[in-house]
Amino acid sequence: MKNNIRVERAIKNITQADLADLIGVSRQTINTIESNRYVPSTVLALKIARVFEKPVEEIFMLDDKD
Amino acid sequence: MKTRFLFPYWCKFLGVGLFLVHLPVMLLKKQLGFEGAPEGTSIFNSNHLFFMITTLTMLSGLVLIAFSKERIEDEQITQLRMDSLQLAIYLNYIVLIISLAFTNKNDFWDIMRLNMWVPLMFFILLFRWKLYRNNRFTKEDEI
Repeated sequence: MKNNIRVERAIKNITQADLADLIGVSRQTINTIESNRYVPSTVLALKIARVFEKPVEEIFMLDDKD
Repeated sequence: MKTRFLFPYWCKFLGVGLFLVHLPVMLLKKQLGFEGAPEGTSIFNSNHLFFMITTLTMLSGLVLIAFSKERIEDEQITQLRMDSLQLAIYLNYIVLIISLAFTNKNDFWDIMRLNMWVPLMFFILLFRWKLYRNNRFTKEDEI
């Protein structure tokens, strides 16, 4: 699964730590999601989408391996 | 993220404390040569009580270290915890099977006694290593 959290964060101008605080996880979790090492649960994906005020599909998308 | 069956964060320090307290007592036990209860005596004699106290201190310490929450307990930590637990159990049973295959009946009791704390120790070490690796990746990727 791919995601463009890094881009969305740059647009909103918030750091990984800010995003982590907003959704109540550790900064490591945001980092591993961004670098595609961890696939978040649906709840977490929805929370991230809510922060960026966009639908989940615009932030997370399936890639060829999925 | 709701996590069940975990002790609060501060229990980890209590666990480390209990484990550290047990170490000098255990060394003393080795020095003085307490080795369980002699055959045919009552279960509550001093040797057995001493064994119970040291072993229970160590085991409760390890359980508290292993199953306390992290400072920020989120779903990724839960995932790492589950992975480490699974690996630790696999590793433990591989070691157990090998050691049972290559020893005779007399060593069985010693192997079982080791088996009392080895899985927990495997789990703690694996989990800590995974957390350390996770933190290191994050630091390398600092923004």
